[in-house]
Amino acid sequence: MTTARDPTIPPPRRLKPWNAVERGLAKVGISGRMLVLAAPVLWLLVFFLIPLAVVFGISLSTKQFGRPPYSPLLTTEEGTVQLTLHLNNYIRLFTDNLYIAAYLSSIRIAFISTVITLFVGYPMAYAIARAPDRWRNILLMLVILPFFTSFLLRVYALTGFMRGNGVINQFLGLFGLEPLVMMQTDFAVYVGIVYTYLPFMILPLYTTLVKLDVSLFEASADLGARPLRTFLSVTLPLSLPGIIAGSMLVFIPAIGEYVIPSLLGGPETLMIGRVLWDEFFTAANWPRAAAVAVAMLLAVVIPIMLLQRAQSAVVER
Amino acid sequence: MKKSQQLAVDTRPWRDTANNKPFVRIKNVTKKFGDVLAVHDVSLDIYRSELFCLLGGSGSGKSTLLRMLAGFEQPTSGTIEIDGQDMTEVPPYNRPVNMMFQSYALFPHMSVEQNIAYGLKRDNLGKGEISDRVAELLSLVKLQDYGRRKPHQLSGGQRQRVALARALAKRPKLLLLDEPLGALDKKLREETQFELVKIQESLGVTFIVVTHDQEEAMTLATRIGVMNLGEIAMVGEPTDIYEFPNSRFVAGFIGSANMVEGKVTEDEPGHVRIRSSELGCDIYVGHGVDCAPEQILWWAIRPEKMVLSREKPLTPHDANVTSGIVEEIAYLGDISLYQVALESGKRLRVSQTNSVRGNPDAITWDEKVYITWSDSSGSVLTV
Repeated sequence: MTTARDPTIPPPRRLKPWNAVERGLAKVGISGRMLVLAAPVLWLLVFFLIPLAVVFGISLSTKQFGRPPYSPLLTTEEGTVQLTLHLNNYIRLFTDNLYIAAYLSSIRIAFISTVITLFVGYPMAYAIARAPDRWRNILLMLVILPFFTSFLLRVYALTGFMRGNGVINQFLGLFGLEPLVMMQTDFAVYVGIVYTYLPFMILPLYTTLVKLDVSLFEASADLGARPLRTFLSVTLPLSLPGIIAGSMLVFIPAIGEYVIPSLLGGPETLMIGRVLWDEFFTAANWPRAAAVAVAMLLAVVIPIMLLQRAQSAVVER
Repeated sequence: MKKSQQLAVDTRPWRDTANNKPFVRIKNVTKKFGDVLAVHDVSLDIYRSELFCLLGGSGSGKSTLLRMLAGFEQPTSGTIEIDGQDMTEVPPYNRPVNMMFQSYALFPHMSVEQNIAYGLKRDNLGKGEISDRVAELLSLVKLQDYGRRKPHQLSGGQRQRVALARALAKRPKLLLLDEPLGALDKKLREETQFELVKIQESLGVTFIVVTHDQEEAMTLATRIGVMNLGEIAMVGEPTDIYEFPNSRFVAGFIGSANMVEGKVTEDEPGHVRIRSSELGCDIYVGHGVDCAPEQILWWAIRPEKMVLSREKPLTPHDANVTSGIVEEIAYLGDISLYQVALESGKRLRVSQTNSVRGNPDAITWDEKVYITWSDSSGSVLTV
């Protein structure tokens, strides 16, 4: 069944395939820009926000035997839907000293580690930023080099250094010195955290420091400032964004650190990551573990958000 | 009010070196970066209250020399004396010298006031004194209402003035300025030039300015040091540099010059005759020149020192006149630039003042013209 072609109707325009797709999407109200944004949004939704919601949901249930090992939030019974929210997991967090002590201890260890990392990392970042061009990339490469080895392996290797008959104590023994007890102490945890997170401190500091105009330092010297004064009045305030970024990159993961305290720390090294692990795997109390996790998230996220607001205010000024 | 009479000797100490002690003495200074010779055996005396310009192209060593005066670079050899004291080894923060940077180098995290006060705080002055000085400097550079702003809230011209105020805050004996007007647009630059000279004269501070802009150097300077390949090619007052260049480099670098090669045919104490086949005539120079007969040398003349005419003018000594065809005319309003092709193929640039309005009888394209000049108009150059 063919119809004669009406000469008044122009032949259909040839469209490139992409144009057609674009038009089709536009009809539904989707632009190309939205598609580009959709990928990361979907990713975050599926792998971050939904799991987070699930964890939050579990934290509001209570432990029970069976599978899953927690009570459902919604129960249907004779045509009524009942939502049961158990808050006692959260209440326990504030009443049981173990949790409060673990949080405070985690914050303390993370804070001290961050400060040490800053003091170790700043001179290194500064030296790299001021190194001759041809050296800079090599030095940066060296900073990143440890990432080529498994994190777990590197932490294990540290035990080889610090244990009773480890490298350090053998070295001390050459001079007839008593062996030091380093393993299973907070000291070992600090060493582990500082060692592991140092690159996260150095890299943002480096990017801030390398951008600073050398003539600013020269101007400061020219106006009569000795090197230390120049550092305090010019270098330090101008590298503040790098200090904040680096400190956050160390502090946040250090708070929830599990591997380092459990491998290097002693029984008295109390960190929230270990409590969480014990709650989850030893006590098999999923709701309690979930509540610990949510509380930890809030404890970290709220100060970070405040910090970030302060930082953007600094940058605007 | 009676105007005080200015004496020439007071304003030009470099003309009487016997009775005036130089304020800055650069003695045989050499600076090497690895194998690169940035500054080569430079000796230079600069006097109090001078506005000395170091003029040169990029890579001529002028900025390196300035940085050595500030103390940011150490000379490989040689000494730098400021006000009678050897400063060669003194770190920048102990020198009575301040610098205005090409990029201005204003501290971005400090307000204008804090920037200006930075150097004063380093001298441990009292709070009251610092704020008085800052206010004084802000009014000097006409930025009274901008003290609380941050550098990024200012225009380029305002930033330049903050940088100047900051550099002047400590009342340095010597102020170094690295391309002080380089980042400003043309109109602002012209205004600022005169302002800079005014400030320099009223404060009596010695200025050393580095620039690649010869117009800037000519306007600002009491004396100019022309630098080339790490060496000082010539030092002199702007008129000396322009009218009496000492070498082919200086003649070519400053302004525009026609340069021809020639051979000495007469070498008398009172005059010199040079035969130039390029020019197609003899050049009669009305003064003695340190040269020998048969010597090959160069003769340079500025476009405005020559006269164009349709009829062959009468010239003494049977020299200093040549002819050619007008090839190009560039009308610049006040003057017109003619490019004349000589028989040898050499092209001369001659400028003529447009003193008659809309002259219908002006020399035009493809006309045969005679070019003439007086016996003291050109410079004889042996190097």
